[in-house]
Amino acid sequence: MPEPAQAIGAAIAIGITALATAWAQAKIGSASVGALAEDDSIFGKVLILTVIPETIIIFGLVVALVAVGFI
Amino acid sequence: MRKISVTGPKSQLETVIDNLHDLGVMHLENYEGELETGEPFEKGEKLSELLVDVRSLLSKLPEPETETKETISIQELQEQLPVLSEKIDDITEKLEAINSREKSLREELKYFRKLEGLDLDYEDLHGSKNLEVWIGRIDEKQLSNELETSRFEIIQGKRNQVVIYEKGNEEIKDGLRQLSKQNIEVRNTERSGQPQQIIQEIKNEIGNLKGEKTDLKKRLKEISEREYGKLEHIEDYLTTEIEKVEAPLKFATTKRAFIAEGWIPKDRFDDVENRLTNVTNNKIHIQEEEGENPPVKQQNNKIVEPFESLTNLMSVPRYGEIDPSFLIFLTFPLMFGFMIGDAGYGFTSALVFYAGMKMFPEGAAIFKSLLWCSAATIFFGLLYGDVFGFIIFGPDNALTALTGIAFFESIPVIYHRVDYLGQVFVMAAIIGVAHVNFALLIGAYNEYIKHGVMAAILEKGSWMVLQLAAVSWYFYGAELGGALVALSLIMIYKGEGIEGLVEIPSLISNILSYLRLFGVSVAAISLAQTVNAIASPAFASGTLLGIVAGTLILILGHTFNTFIKIMEGFLQGIRLHYVEMFNWFYEGGGTKYNPFGKSKQY
Repeated sequence: MPEPAQAIGAAIAIGITALATAWAQAKIGSASVGALAEDDSIFGKVLILTVIPETIIIFGLVVALVAVGFI
Repeated sequence: MRKISVTGPKSQLETVIDNLHDLGVMHLENYEGELETGEPFEKGEKLSELLVDVRSLLSKLPEPETETKETISIQELQEQLPVLSEKIDDITEKLEAINSREKSLREELKYFRKLEGLDLDYEDLHGSKNLEVWIGRIDEKQLSNELETSRFEIIQGKRNQVVIYEKGNEEIKDGLRQLSKQNIEVRNTERSGQPQQIIQEIKNEIGNLKGEKTDLKKRLKEISEREYGKLEHIEDYLTTEIEKVEAPLKFATTKRAFIAEGWIPKDRFDDVENRLTNVTNNKIHIQEEEGENPPVKQQNNKIVEPFESLTNLMSVPRYGEIDPSFLIFLTFPLMFGFMIGDAGYGFTSALVFYAGMKMFPEGAAIFKSLLWCSAATIFFGLLYGDVFGFIIFGPDNALTALTGIAFFESIPVIYHRVDYLGQVFVMAAIIGVAHVNFALLIGAYNEYIKHGVMAAILEKGSWMVLQLAAVSWYFYGAELGGALVALSLIMIYKGEGIEGLVEIPSLISNILSYLRLFGVSVAAISLAQTVNAIASPAFASGTLLGIVAGTLILILGHTFNTFIKIMEGFLQGIRLHYVEMFNWFYEGGGTKYNPFGKSKQY
């Protein structure tokens, strides 16, 4: 079991990065839907732009795992 | 691909278009220049109008059961079309009228149902000179208790009551207003008699309408059996004709001549040249042109072909570039399987994809490629020994507990990943390094083809040296590591300039991004186990109700999970290719080879 401080640290790492990802994806996502309404052949490109922020939470996951001593 | 231009007098325009269309190999390019573009042939407008008419008729007819191979010429069509469309319009209009009449009857029926069981004529509900009538729902006892007067009468119906009282009696009016649970207005209608009779009357009318409707539909069906095939045939014919008619829009024209430009496959050049010069008696001139960005025809075998649609979803490859469809085929299903890794979900997702293939023919290729993902998921599921979050092999497995067959205990679980999450984490990182370096190798090959060995080494090899530097720094210390880092930085700078140096963090973030393989794996296991955990108390109760409830929870939960996992597996898997992998070698932005006349059927 990790120490309480470790657990809190991990929670902060995951929580804030999740919010950051959500915020970024929400903005990109709504713009993407607008763009798709104009021209739906750009679906692939729009998909990529939308998923780019997901990397943020992966970093959060890594930091959280470091914090609890998994890595 | 070769770019050619066909130049000739306008008198030959139609012949050239007809023959190019027939050959079906030339990818026409829009003319962009100082000359004017051509105009569609005059008959185009008439053909377009005809096509619109034919399509509108087709949309009104039901699809026939038998397919007719009969054909029809345009002239015949033009003669028959007015009569036919009048016939069909007549029937569809009648059908519409019947439908709207039926709707209003049903509405009326709903109203009279409220009055069902009242032993009264409907006309009486309007009241009379001295009597007022109230219809609605009311508690009879309460009303009698509340009111001092008893100068009213209540008639019971099946759903509502009618209260008849002296006109102008405010006390009763107030009482009704206060105690009423529902009040129904009396409508003006031409119907008369007891509600019961009226209901029967309306039902009969609806029945008659239904009979008429089936008759009309049958007639429509008969017409469809006779004409649908012909109309479909002529629709195809008209579509290709219009394609031909509008082809001059892509050509350059002067007063007396035209120039058509486009791409044809190298080996078909002689074919095209011979045919065109023959049919025009040598009146046209064909010449090779220089052009950029030729259209691309992807060539893959039958298995990889569906994966082209995944590549093209992102971007069509450029001419001469490696088509990444094969790479997606190679690694995408494996990643999907690695993440989801559950034989049960492999099976259910295959059902979903198969249904998708049948339901959305235009997206069939994508679903076909996803079926490979299901296969990989089943494979990994058996490797991990997981079915819907239950362990099915090895000692104390769920399958033996359920069926009593001891055989399953004798199959070992090869790699139960829940027990080795630390290893899964490392594996995800290794897959990332391998995938990115694989991409770098392909990028190097692309560079080698285009710009030679030096460019390949400097632009792509440099990144591998950088990784090597990081490894040697870790194992052999700063001296060797530092030297290699310096070397790789110089190489990157030489190869890609300052932009390359700025890109360095993206190498790290790209590899770290593959840790999502681990993340989704954990989520996939937890989701399945959560559903099972919710269901298990219900099963443990041992009652029939408990077992039914537990089964329901399992079915609903795992259905929901199936869709979540398809989405996660697809999005995360494909983005690792689109973003992290393609980043290192793929340019895209090509045009698909779409030869003029390809769609012809007749």
